[in-house]
Amino acid sequence: MNRAGYIKGIAVVLVLFAIGLVGYFAFSAAFPDGLERVMEDNGVEEGEPFYIAPLSYGDDYLGALLAGLAGFAITFGLVYLYLKGMKARNKA
Amino acid sequence: MVGLGWAIALPAIAWAVYRLRRNLDERAVPFMAILAAGIFVAQMLNFPVAAGTTGHLIGATLAVALLGLYGGMVVMTTILVIQCLVFGDGGLTALGLNLLNMAVVAPLVAYGTLRLTRKGLDNWNGIGVPLAAWASVLTAALFCGVQLALSYSLSGGSYGIEAMLSIPTMGVYHAIIGVGEAMITTGVVLFLSRVAPETLEFGLTGKGAKA
Repeated sequence: MNRAGYIKGIAVVLVLFAIGLVGYFAFSAAFPDGLERVMEDNGVEEGEPFYIAPLSYGDDYLGALLAGLAGFAITFGLVYLYLKGMKARNKA
Repeated sequence: MVGLGWAIALPAIAWAVYRLRRNLDERAVPFMAILAAGIFVAQMLNFPVAAGTTGHLIGATLAVALLGLYGGMVVMTTILVIQCLVFGDGGLTALGLNLLNMAVVAPLVAYGTLRLTRKGLDNWNGIGVPLAAWASVLTAALFCGVQLALSYSLSGGSYGIEAMLSIPTMGVYHAIIGVGEAMITTGVVLFLSRVAPETLEFGLTGKGAKA
């Protein structure tokens, strides 16, 4: 794989999703998504969760932006370290 | 019901991890991680579809097209686990079924469709990616509809939705949402194939693609 093209590919993916992230609020309407809509239509209530996650997606623009950035970093870090570890075990 | 999701999803994901470990190209690791992070963000983005409903990307077809079946399954698994454990999206109880629908069923449908529609070595063609994206969303949604119906009968009606309602409504909404998924997925793949064709080498859309 050509190194320059590969870095370009990463840059392109980053820029695409950066645009998406900033545009989040514009499209992130208060409307329910497909599954939520079906649940609502049929009057299904979600039960009480027995596990409470440390973070949420936030309820305003800044919160959502920060959640998106945090999620991006956490996902990148975890997949990167996991695959690197997988490769290292392969060599051993 | 919850256990059923885990019972099917876990062996499938373990198998993907095993195969990925044998085939992983180290040069692809940073790209895979970036793509995973990008799909995480893309799943947050809601786009409006018809009738006061929104859709958001699953991303399984994008992951499979760019990373292959095993890479796609592992990336989808990581995203769903982080969403659940860190952001509380989709609850711990539902994680097994979410993994089954979006990290196993959707990537398999995407992979199958891409394989069936590709032509020899010159395997990028205009219809494979959008068709795979649409079909993967619809199939995952129908699986979810069946699960809601199973919950309904197993819980004696206290949770879930009757099959006669859940399966058609999940199908209809997601047949529309799938069009959005198809447009976004095709756009990203086409764009990458123009500006950085190297990134297509590891997945199903590149020349000499392997699983």
